[in-house]
Amino acid sequence: MNDLERFEQELRSLKPARPPAEFMERLRELEPARVAPQADSHGQTQWLWAHLVRWLVPATAVLAAAGFVWFKYSHPKTQHGRSLAVTVPPPLKADSVQIDEQLVGAFDAVGRLPNGEPVRFHCREWMDNVVLRDKTRGVVIEQRTPRVEVVPVRFETY
Amino acid sequence: MNGDLEHGTANLSGWERWLEQHASRLLLFARQRTRVEADAQDLVQEAVIEAWRRRKLPQPPEVALVFATIRRRAVDLARSTDRRATREAHTVQETAVHWFDSSVEDRERTRLIEQAMCSLPEIYREAVTLKIWGGLTFAEIAEALQIPANTAASRYRYGIDELRKLTREAFA
Repeated sequence: MNDLERFEQELRSLKPARPPAEFMERLRELEPARVAPQADSHGQTQWLWAHLVRWLVPATAVLAAAGFVWFKYSHPKTQHGRSLAVTVPPPLKADSVQIDEQLVGAFDAVGRLPNGEPVRFHCREWMDNVVLRDKTRGVVIEQRTPRVEVVPVRFETY
Repeated sequence: MNGDLEHGTANLSGWERWLEQHASRLLLFARQRTRVEADAQDLVQEAVIEAWRRRKLPQPPEVALVFATIRRRAVDLARSTDRRATREAHTVQETAVHWFDSSVEDRERTRLIEQAMCSLPEIYREAVTLKIWGGLTFAEIAEALQIPANTAASRYRYGIDELRKLTREAFA
């Protein structure tokens, strides 16, 4: 045992002065049953609040993070939309467009109005042809559409 | 010790045993923090009640918590009564209260230790008191004083060294 430990032991041998008898009597009168019930109602509420807040705050943070992750992976449109925009090639760029119309046939037809008056129709059959070329891709698109043109002509003018 | 009291039905003998064990050390700590004996006794009583009410069960409170409550209430009391105490110090002659029990032959040595304790800075005195006579661990002292445990230990070491220097004559 060194000097310091001996000194500590000496100090411990001194006993704190005994409290006065009337003071001890006052303390004895603090009945646990009279003091404690207040602790139960008030203290327990505080305890519940403290625990609620202690767990609620981190739990909310965890839930928010989980919700964010779930939302991100369950709605992949934005993510895929971006990747599609990158991977899909640009639309066709036509180097040349040819529009052609071919007269296939022409004839006249005669019809009658409800009052019996004759009307002549001048009819023409056309074939519209559109050719679109993209040289960089080597794409040729050709669209042919038949078209009938009917022009009524009054008989008198004929 | 606390287990002697069954919750719900308070065991008075258990409460008395708790008082016998801790009342003197609590009062010693309170006496060091106040100028008037009545204030020290009131501090202990109020601190016991307050610490008790914080517990969820009707058992005697933890001693470290009572020490912490005494300290906090003593600071509040000092703030509120500082002016009054200074004024009254000139007119009222407070009866000398000894901090320690002592036999006739030890009386001089006890007086020297009390004087040395009084001359210690408060932060060291409270660490020494709580460790030596309060019987608290450094962790409990740290909790009571709201400081890190390392700080509590270093304050105690410094305080005990100072106290040793000051009382070298008494222990020679």
